[in-house]
Amino acid sequence: MDLGSLGGDLMGIVPLGDIVLYLTPLHLFMFIAVLTFTFLIAISRTETQVEASFGDLKDNELKVGLAEFKARRFLAIICGIATAGAMITGDLFNFILFVALTGVVNVGIVSAVKQIDVLDAAFQYGLIAMMASLPLFGGGAIILAATGTLSFFELAKFTSNSMVLFGSTLLLIGVAGETGIAPFFATKAEMFRTPGSPFILIIHLSSLFMIIRAIEILLVIIT
Amino acid sequence: MGLGEFWNKLANPDRIPRIFALILGLFLVVGLLVPFSLNDDQIYPRPAPQEQMLDGDRIAPYDRGGEILQKPGITVAQYPCFSEKIGMINSYMSPIAYNIKENSPYFGTSIYSSPGGLIDEILYYTRGFDTILESTILMMSFVIASWLALNFTMNRKEEDD
Repeated sequence: MDLGSLGGDLMGIVPLGDIVLYLTPLHLFMFIAVLTFTFLIAISRTETQVEASFGDLKDNELKVGLAEFKARRFLAIICGIATAGAMITGDLFNFILFVALTGVVNVGIVSAVKQIDVLDAAFQYGLIAMMASLPLFGGGAIILAATGTLSFFELAKFTSNSMVLFGSTLLLIGVAGETGIAPFFATKAEMFRTPGSPFILIIHLSSLFMIIRAIEILLVIIT
Repeated sequence: MGLGEFWNKLANPDRIPRIFALILGLFLVVGLLVPFSLNDDQIYPRPAPQEQMLDGDRIAPYDRGGEILQKPGITVAQYPCFSEKIGMINSYMSPIAYNIKENSPYFGTSIYSSPGGLIDEILYYTRGFDTILESTILMMSFVIASWLALNFTMNRKEEDD
């Protein structure tokens, strides 16, 4: 499939050696949306959850300490930048690395919470993220072996065969595991229960954007 | 088992890694049936390792030829127009690596794996951005691990209640 047919007219490229980032209206919009959200996160403070307690009139406030706040903000910004990078990248391996980076950082954002349930869910998510690196990188390697290239401009010209289809599906399983979408969403849904919004929200936002971009990439490769 | 029960099982985080592993395992078994054929027209080619070793090349199996700043080696880029000096520093070796190469024919792999041993253009030039990202992933893992180690073992405050 032609690159322009999904994202709109090609507005420009950013060549970094063999890795060529490219801009179309769709990718530029997603890139700016992620960066804007990241900026809003970077200048905001964490929410405080209030738990009503039964039997008395006290409310229990769940606050995030300053050290944890700073670490989370840093990781949330890195996560936002990695997601933004994945939106405009024009290289398959580059995209895979961005996905892996958001996966690691997502675990890091909730790694220091006090709630045991959330930590348990984060641990399970970490297990999936570890397992998902096999199909993620393996899918990329199979697509490279079948087509001989990693650049989307070249991949768009190839006609698909069974090996490319297998590699693409493997890549989709990898991205699904790493971003924690539909059948594997329970781990991520539990991770949002901790106090610390909006930093927690970047976990959700990054996976939404990543899956949109992954599907677009798979369409470019297969069709 | 009804559909509702199945959805409820999917809602338990403890089961998710197992379900993921099962799906992945089944799909990899399907992969055994898929016909695989390597596309010979690959980017980043180099002579086959066996050829280099039989030739007695001292830095086999990774030799890409060329002379530093004189003659380009055989690095092929996807977009040669964006990497104009390609191949020129392909065979740079640090003094230690050079001496190892001069003294023994058996350490080709070690020369490449030692830091600064040999400049690989694919890592540092044509695909340099990937190398930056890879080390960023590593760095973030270390940031998270060391932050946890500092705050939950060394500087751990006693819980007040």
